[in-house]
Amino acid sequence: MNYRRTKAMARKEFLHIIRDPRSLIMALAVPMMMLLLFSYALSLDVDRIPTIVYDQDASPQSRELTARFAGSPYFEIISYAHSYAEVEKAIDRGDCIVAVVFPPDFAHHLRASKPTSVQILLDGSDSNTGSIALSYAESVTNGYSMEILHRTPPVDARIRVWYNTDLKSHNFIIPGLVAVILMIIASLLTSLTIAREWENGTMEQLLSTPLRPVEIVVGKLAAFFLLGTADSIIAIVSAVYVFDVPLRGNVLFLAITTGVFLVGVLTWGLFISSISGTQLMAYQIGLMTSFLPGFLLSGFIYAIDNMPVPIQVVTHIVPARYFITILRAIFLKGVGPEIVWQELLFLVIYAIAVAAVATKKLKKKVA
Amino acid sequence: MITVNNLVKTFGDFYAVDHVSFDVKKGEIFGFLGPNGAGKSTTIRILCGLMDPTSGSATVNGLEVGRQSEEIKKFIGYMSQKFSLYDDLKVEENIDFFSGIYGVPKDKREERKDYVLKMAGIVEKRGEKTAMLAGGWKQRLALGCAILHQPPILFLDEPTSGVDPIARRSFWDLIYELSDAGSTIMVSTHYMEEAEYCHRLALMYRGKLVALGSPKELKDAMNVKSMEEVFIQKIEEEEALLK
Amino acid sequence: MWERIRVIITKEFRQTLREPRMRMMVIMPPLFQLLIFGFAVNLDVENSKIAWMDMDRTPESRELRDKFDASIYFQITSEPRSEEEVRSLLDHGEVVGVVRVLPGFARDLKRGKQTAVQVLVDGTNSNNASIVTGYASRIISSVGVPAGMVAPVEARSRVWFNPELKSRYYFIPGVLMNIIALITLMLTAMAVVREKEIGTMEQLLVTPIRPVELILGKTLPFVLIGLFDVFLATGVALLVFHVPFRGSIVTLVAASIVFLMTTLGAGLFISTISRTQQQALMSSFFFFMPTFMLSGFSFPIRNMPVAVQYLTLLNPQRHFIEILRGIFLKGEGFYVLWPQTLALFVIGVLVLGGSTLRFHRTIE
Repeated sequence: MNYRRTKAMARKEFLHIIRDPRSLIMALAVPMMMLLLFSYALSLDVDRIPTIVYDQDASPQSRELTARFAGSPYFEIISYAHSYAEVEKAIDRGDCIVAVVFPPDFAHHLRASKPTSVQILLDGSDSNTGSIALSYAESVTNGYSMEILHRTPPVDARIRVWYNTDLKSHNFIIPGLVAVILMIIASLLTSLTIAREWENGTMEQLLSTPLRPVEIVVGKLAAFFLLGTADSIIAIVSAVYVFDVPLRGNVLFLAITTGVFLVGVLTWGLFISSISGTQLMAYQIGLMTSFLPGFLLSGFIYAIDNMPVPIQVVTHIVPARYFITILRAIFLKGVGPEIVWQELLFLVIYAIAVAAVATKKLKKKVA
Repeated sequence: MITVNNLVKTFGDFYAVDHVSFDVKKGEIFGFLGPNGAGKSTTIRILCGLMDPTSGSATVNGLEVGRQSEEIKKFIGYMSQKFSLYDDLKVEENIDFFSGIYGVPKDKREERKDYVLKMAGIVEKRGEKTAMLAGGWKQRLALGCAILHQPPILFLDEPTSGVDPIARRSFWDLIYELSDAGSTIMVSTHYMEEAEYCHRLALMYRGKLVALGSPKELKDAMNVKSMEEVFIQKIEEEEALLK
Repeated sequence: MWERIRVIITKEFRQTLREPRMRMMVIMPPLFQLLIFGFAVNLDVENSKIAWMDMDRTPESRELRDKFDASIYFQITSEPRSEEEVRSLLDHGEVVGVVRVLPGFARDLKRGKQTAVQVLVDGTNSNNASIVTGYASRIISSVGVPAGMVAPVEARSRVWFNPELKSRYYFIPGVLMNIIALITLMLTAMAVVREKEIGTMEQLLVTPIRPVELILGKTLPFVLIGLFDVFLATGVALLVFHVPFRGSIVTLVAASIVFLMTTLGAGLFISTISRTQQQALMSSFFFFMPTFMLSGFSFPIRNMPVAVQYLTLLNPQRHFIEILRGIFLKGEGFYVLWPQTLALFVIGVLVLGGSTLRFHRTIE
């Protein structure tokens, strides 16, 4: 591998990046955009679920139970219905997710020591919120039930949350977001570059020169690595200083793992670019193999343990999965290589393997 | 300098290059003439190492095409049909890039850059974006980028297509300059009048070499006054043979 | 005029569908996305791994353990004996939570004194953590009911639209929309920019063709491709994932067409501001990401800051998702969904109209 030729290649790539200010700005703005979105707008937290109460009994007991619901952080009673039709309409229109309906003989039964029930109607279309809502609705009801039975407070569940004591989904999401951001940049930018040279005819020109495939790959990689590093720094610095995500682990280790991950995903993009005939195709394949898996199969939001087993197997080849584990460990748990060395090893192997394949597969002939 | 021996290139059943043989002497301007699709570009690309031949052999500067293609690339300059320059780079930056790729020695870089800029007549345009150049200037810049490393052999694939006649003439002046300085140049074109500019020519039609010789030789042999007539007659002969 | 439009449409179709690779692209990405989303994405929390630390070792504590064991939400995968082990399990992410029964649990229970059970939860995945805490609370709160007795108050739940609370049914309408939006957006943007890049655009503009005809010719094929993808995706949703389809196909098609107006308009707009394919693709992505994230496909709109919620009213994807969920899960028709459809139509007209005007101007 000739240093001078590679340097010339890297320099050219760098110039290309700078000369397209629109793409450059977008590439640098993506981290901020994603961070803002996920920090302020996007949240899976379930609380203050809109609830409607239809109390056909209006007794001290029904009001007591209603008060339990009102007092729970998970429910927010938005109105009191006066008819079943009102309840149905509210759910249909999506005004509320949960409806609590008391039968007219609620207190009567309780006073007679006979079992009674409360109807919980749930809009199940949002299953995530629905499951949690259901759980808590049953909890609240159970708790009330127990009190009646024993007239003593029930068994208390003392919850202690580790690593993320406020259960801020922030802290959960943002370290993962760094990984997703880098995957996006990789799939967007690098996936186009080689395909573009083929489409424009400049690749043919390059192949007629002493330039070797490995020099093309390394040259392009170098330039995009710079861009990727800029993005990583933006993402990490914002995470820590703007969004207050704790960084309890070692910064140097963070830098090293980020670098290794970057090399892997960027080279993958280059590989895709070299096997796709057109930019459009390269872009689509890039989205399907970098972005989508990075977003869905890496454990970023959707826990891997909850996926069907065959899919879990597939996640083993998604580099973002390992990177996210490492990031969460460094940011939130404050641990280092002693815990996550296996993940790091995978990333290293991945980077080397993909680089080798990309270089080998780069077509050296026009036909 | 260049020898081609029974070269064949097929794409499926189609013979793009059909048993072509010729050679090019040092310092010659060798023209490759023929209509579109005759096999000119394909032959040139094989010689440059951009394609592998299906069968047959060739040597460039004594090195074997195919086995030693990587070595060959150090001694050649290639200008593709699309004058592939990077539009978003400045003129200077394109030159710097190819300089680096061709390994022009450090102490010679500035000198060669100035030479190319002057030769192409774009000295004042050195800081401009390549996209801004008119067709004729781009063509000259592309040629310039191909000779930065002073290669003994140049392959020019339809370098004058889409360029106005005056620019074409002055481009050929450039080619003559380079030839006088000792370069061997292989040019392909479909403009018949450019055939007159070459020392020797090969006429290609449907992948086959149908005539080989200097313009004068060819015209005398067929007793005609212009290359165009040579060409038309040769094609008619070929068509007759096919039937 | 129609003749010219027809000619352009034919050319677009030929260009788009000629290459087998392009044909693949109209089918593969949608299928791929549907399959991944459908199978992989599962917010349903079941079989969460927990560790059990019983420091009481009484029949009562074992009974509690049995309840956790029997629950589909948990599986007890380890029984640590020390703080060290607990720490290690959580650090390595081997369990999501540790339930610790303290000594004296049974004694306090029998005496009627309030007692507690400790639950240590790994908060790194806060969503999971909430769910796990919820389920744990529920189980723990049921302690104390002697076997055979009926609780005084029972919560009888009825879940509408998605009785098994399958997250799939929630996502897939959103994914459908995502697929269609992305493909039509990108293809439209690229179709125009590619001509600009190659230079054939100039060629076209020299002909008698009028800008409107060019636009119609370029966008109509993608309406058809978009609809094809809608059918493909719906088919997979129904046959592979068994997502219920309780509404009418006519409503689906009509709503899809209105939605496509918005994506095609956006694609057209992007093509007018991009010089190269790279710019078109980057811009498409930059436009698509936030609108997709803020569409309510997974992150409820209700959770967003109020200002943002209002903003999403401008997002066609939000409305289309509501429509899709309404059609698939709730069996609703335009009688209920007219506000969203109207919103889509208005946005569509504005975007398409604006882009057309811009297109006109960039040509002159």
